[in-house]
Amino acid sequence: MTVSMSKSRLDRRFALTLLLGAGLALSAQAQSVSYRIATEGTYPPWSFKDAQGGLQGWDVDIAHALCEKMKARCEIVAQDWDGIIPGLMARKFDLIVASMAITEQRRQRVDFSDKYKETISRFVAKKGAPEDTGPDALKGKRIGVQRGSIQAAYLSQNYKSSDLKFYDTPQAAELDLVAGRVDYIFGNMVTYFIGFMKTPEAASFAFVGPELKGGLLGDGNGIAVRKGDTALLEKVNAALAAIRADGTYDRITAKYFPFKLM
Amino acid sequence: MNILHGFGSQLLLGALATVQLALASLVVGSLFGVTGCWLQLRQNRLLRGAGYLYAALIRGIPDLLVVFAVYFGGSLTLAKLTGRYVEIDAFAAGVFALSLSFGAYAAEIARGALLSVNAGQREAAWTLGLSRTQALWTVILPQAARTALAPFGNQSIVLLKQTSIVSIVGCDELMRKAAEASGATRQPFTMYLAVALIYLVLTGAATLLLERTERRASRYLGA
Repeated sequence: MTVSMSKSRLDRRFALTLLLGAGLALSAQAQSVSYRIATEGTYPPWSFKDAQGGLQGWDVDIAHALCEKMKARCEIVAQDWDGIIPGLMARKFDLIVASMAITEQRRQRVDFSDKYKETISRFVAKKGAPEDTGPDALKGKRIGVQRGSIQAAYLSQNYKSSDLKFYDTPQAAELDLVAGRVDYIFGNMVTYFIGFMKTPEAASFAFVGPELKGGLLGDGNGIAVRKGDTALLEKVNAALAAIRADGTYDRITAKYFPFKLM
Repeated sequence: MNILHGFGSQLLLGALATVQLALASLVVGSLFGVTGCWLQLRQNRLLRGAGYLYAALIRGIPDLLVVFAVYFGGSLTLAKLTGRYVEIDAFAAGVFALSLSFGAYAAEIARGALLSVNAGQREAAWTLGLSRTQALWTVILPQAARTALAPFGNQSIVLLKQTSIVSIVGCDELMRKAAEASGATRQPFTMYLAVALIYLVLTGAATLLLERTERRASRYLGA
């Protein structure tokens, strides 16, 4: 009696152990892939750090959502912009989810996912500035732009007779607009909309000219992987399609913006 | 800390990282400097050439490139050599790059200081029956150290501020924290002003320490 009871208990324990083991093995298999994802970290609301040092923002949320769909464990790190592509190439991380504009130049160094966000560029100037922002209208005008950005490339190509000033950060260009050292700034419309245009200093400034996109101004934003990392790229594109289809993408966007990004 | 929008503790963490980077690079860089100087003063042309090449190369290219070469180039090279990805710690890479740079200048400072000691001093020491090593440690080095102290201190303060360039490889030091704080709060003036004050406190402390050391080093010199 006692023997059989202890035996059945043993059996049960054995079965439990088996089950637990199988469960662990299954979950380990499901979670076995892990990726390191780089984002920028000083660029709200896309990616920024809160006062506790935690990473936040639209890109961070998108990255988490993608990881969930890819059934991968992810570590998201903030990386200075200048080192972000070199870091990817040196295998410091596997993905860049940092609102990176897809450009021909960058395509030569990394592979991009399908577009995951539209890029719209626009000029900002003193209220009442003329609506015409063509190269002829801005001849001799001082325009501030972030160094190395697609907007900088676009201006260098098309606004040769304007006085272009290059800044390391969008904020530095905004400061000089307020200080009157430049007449226009040119950059990402959404970024201005939620950032600079909401500050008290921007009260006397407004968007001028049309919404600009395409060509040098980019084919939108993409998620970057190392050249030739096709397996990962396919997974990312599938995950991207999945979060677009099931509404996760729009839900994340609605957390930050009153409009859609794609 | 309300004026810093709650980012005060983040900035202090950054300051701590900056001090750690600077101190570690000071120690390792000084070792590089001693080695560089030793090489430069060799009779052997190969060794001497290596010493001069190191100083010329590192002093001749921007420190930013040294950081890139160590962190990204180092990773890629190790990956090629071992056939798999090797993680290089950002802090270690930062210290190594800063040390390479500091060592090149330190080597020049040390060599200049050693050569500034009058040859008669060494000859006098030998005449008194001191061995080469004894002469070096008891006669030459104390005098050379006095000469080297001021430029060495100068270079140390440069090093302290130079730590900001390793933010590019993801080292969360003071300037990177300031960039994050100014990005998040859109208060670049406040954040960078706060950071400027922190740097000023750090360099001020370093300067005071150096002045005391210099005074102590020359306490036996008349007037």
